[in-house]
Amino acid sequence: MQPHPIPESGLQEFSFLGEVKAGFPSPAEDVRERLDLVKLLVRHSASTFFFRVDGVSMVDADMDEGDIIIVDRALDPYNGCKAVCFIDGEYTVKRVEIGADGAVLLPCNAKNKRYKPIPVGPDNQFLIWGVVTWVIKKA
Amino acid sequence: MYALADCNNFFASCERVFRPELNGKPVIVLSNNDGCAVARSNEAKALGIKMGDPYFKIRDIVERNGVAVFSGNFPLYGDMSRRVQEVLRSFAPSVEQYSIDEAFLDLSGMDNIDFDTYAKRISATCLKWTAIPVSVGIAPTKTLAKIASKLCKQYPRLQGGCYLHRPRDIEKVLRKFPVGDVWGIGRRSLKKLEQMGVRSAWDYVQLSETTVRKLFFQPGFHTWKELQGIPCIEFEDLVEPKQSICVSRSFAHEIEAMPELCEQVANFAESAVQKLRRQQSLALEMVVFASTNRFKESTPQTSAGLCVPFIDATADHRTLVLAAVDACRKLWRPGFGYKRAGVIITKIVQEADFVRSLWEDDGAAQRESRLSQSIDNITKAFGPGAIRFGAQGDGIVKAARDHQSPHYTTRWEDLPKVTGK
Repeated sequence: MQPHPIPESGLQEFSFLGEVKAGFPSPAEDVRERLDLVKLLVRHSASTFFFRVDGVSMVDADMDEGDIIIVDRALDPYNGCKAVCFIDGEYTVKRVEIGADGAVLLPCNAKNKRYKPIPVGPDNQFLIWGVVTWVIKKA
Repeated sequence: MYALADCNNFFASCERVFRPELNGKPVIVLSNNDGCAVARSNEAKALGIKMGDPYFKIRDIVERNGVAVFSGNFPLYGDMSRRVQEVLRSFAPSVEQYSIDEAFLDLSGMDNIDFDTYAKRISATCLKWTAIPVSVGIAPTKTLAKIASKLCKQYPRLQGGCYLHRPRDIEKVLRKFPVGDVWGIGRRSLKKLEQMGVRSAWDYVQLSETTVRKLFFQPGFHTWKELQGIPCIEFEDLVEPKQSICVSRSFAHEIEAMPELCEQVANFAESAVQKLRRQQSLALEMVVFASTNRFKESTPQTSAGLCVPFIDATADHRTLVLAAVDACRKLWRPGFGYKRAGVIITKIVQEADFVRSLWEDDGAAQRESRLSQSIDNITKAFGPGAIRFGAQGDGIVKAARDHQSPHYTTRWEDLPKVTGK
């Protein structure tokens, strides 16, 4: 293929209006980089939701009262994942152990004996709402 | 090939996203001011609740059956709609958003795909990613794709996806499909069709081309061809500017006094102007209307509208708001309790297409446009209502929204809570 020639008559001279500053050009002029927190924290913007932690059953997993957790529904739950679950009419965030005969929801608070593993049986209304990907906490 | 993705009972489904316990239970969403049912879950439909039923008429059914009732939560619905659209965009090179809960996908050039599996996969992905159930119909034309998506709602065994393409399948489906439910067949056409004994979509296809052209004109002819699998309706992935803009509300309490009604109308006009300016259009004509409560038959009834033409097309805040107030003063009558009012910009031109008249005073026009620009800037920086005309009073009277769910996905203070039990 031949390069398309530019016709001589198509070129027009033009003059700049106004001042042209001819100082040292900024070496950063064409480089516009910024860190975007959303890009880091939200991999799928269609399926990512935020929840607020209410309660202390997950303090050992670094989820404290008032923290914001980021949940991605696009991810498949895996054994040991932390997930927002819905069990018998209530939301709860737990570590999910997925075994051959069903799931167990594990709290992460060794100091408080009140929190016990919750086995999920056929009688429970249960669903894993989404997998937790990040925890946002105030320092 | 086209796909139509239609969210099932969209508003009701949005309310279930963060309330999974409502799955399988009747749910309805009420219109502005908790007036009437505008969305119903399948369970609510089964109870006999109809689209547009006034709330007070169905209250009994609601209470007896424990129907979950919600006031419209439009920030939530808008956000969920955006999410579904995003998922759909990953399945096709171009997507035409047809409404808040429907989108067409252009699948041309993807012919080596197993479309039946594809339809089901789109539906399953939407459900997994967004928790919104979506019915996906794939067919050679948009009209048939719409029909295919309706089949998914009728037959759960289709698992949310239906590929309708074989001529004998199309015939079988059209024979059972009521012609009035076909996309593009309006109420007026339906009346004619009923008189002619045309009941099913198949009956319609059997009409001759001349009959269809003569009685139902170009649009009816396009529908006729589309039902036969010949694409006629273009794919529009560019958002066209709206041809009319309507802002109307029903009030929580009836308004009798003129100044009060005018204030409300001024607010509707201002909000219409904002929409107009956002799409870079100008108004040539505006209609202001007000009516009494038509469900309260014992009180005197009125419903009046006034049309205001503009010689010079305008998007000026002040011009439009004052014109609306003026029209409202003229149509107001004493002794009526107004329940609803609104402003419709009925004739719209694009700023770029408009040629100004000879008579316009340039100086005044420039002052107006500077003022309007400032109003836009202040509104943008500080939110709607940050700056108002005196005519707007204290702003729009808050509508009754007794059953609104939190703005789960659009306000930090409304994030759903997850307990550690």
